[in-house]
Amino acid sequence: MDFQQQQPFSQPPMPRPKNWLVESILVTLFCCLPLGIVGIINAASVNSRYDVGDYNGALKASEQAGKWTKIGFFGGIVVGVLYGIFVVMLGRG
Amino acid sequence: MKYKKLYFTAGCVLVLCFIGIYFTYNPTKYSFFPKCPFHYLTGLDCPGCGSQRAIHALLHANLADAIRQNLLLVLSLPILLIHFGYVLTSALKGKKYKWALLYHPLTPRIMAVIVIAFWIVRNTPYYPFKH
Repeated sequence: MDFQQQQPFSQPPMPRPKNWLVESILVTLFCCLPLGIVGIINAASVNSRYDVGDYNGALKASEQAGKWTKIGFFGGIVVGVLYGIFVVMLGRG
Repeated sequence: MKYKKLYFTAGCVLVLCFIGIYFTYNPTKYSFFPKCPFHYLTGLDCPGCGSQRAIHALLHANLADAIRQNLLLVLSLPILLIHFGYVLTSALKGKKYKWALLYHPLTPRIMAVIVIAFWIVRNTPYYPFKH
């Protein structure tokens, strides 16, 4: 921890990084993969790290949460679309 | 800024399309709805299993059936609605509003515990809402 972080009022406060909590819940509910849970756990880490003043840690956790939420989201879309194509092809065959 | 408006409109249109689809077609009767890969592979329910059926039930104002299909979805609904209320206000007023509760250190932890507990309990014979 460096000197500036110990004096939070000497500079304008850093904005809270996005914690992706709601997006993680949506992925948990609609993409059926445990990736949403990884997102929720990272969201917890974003909040607690920011509150103890570990801004870089919070930013890193935010990136992780975003990464897993996006993987879950696009993974869900890909699986859904592949399934749709599969059903349509079976219906024709 | 221009792109943001485009994304916003496209998002709204997409949501309305999905509401139309899930209102008209019952996911238990039509095969084109995507199935859960976790359920397909293991035979167990994941925390998201039944959410398509629950949405169909909710759109037909059948809360009891929605709870039976996926309790977690019904419980998350108020959180999702309030969050998107904040997103909408931010978009309309051009200023960032954040719901402070989501940034409380305990909130995501409690949610993680609820999700994992729900995942386990719904696969036990003790789960009260069977579908």
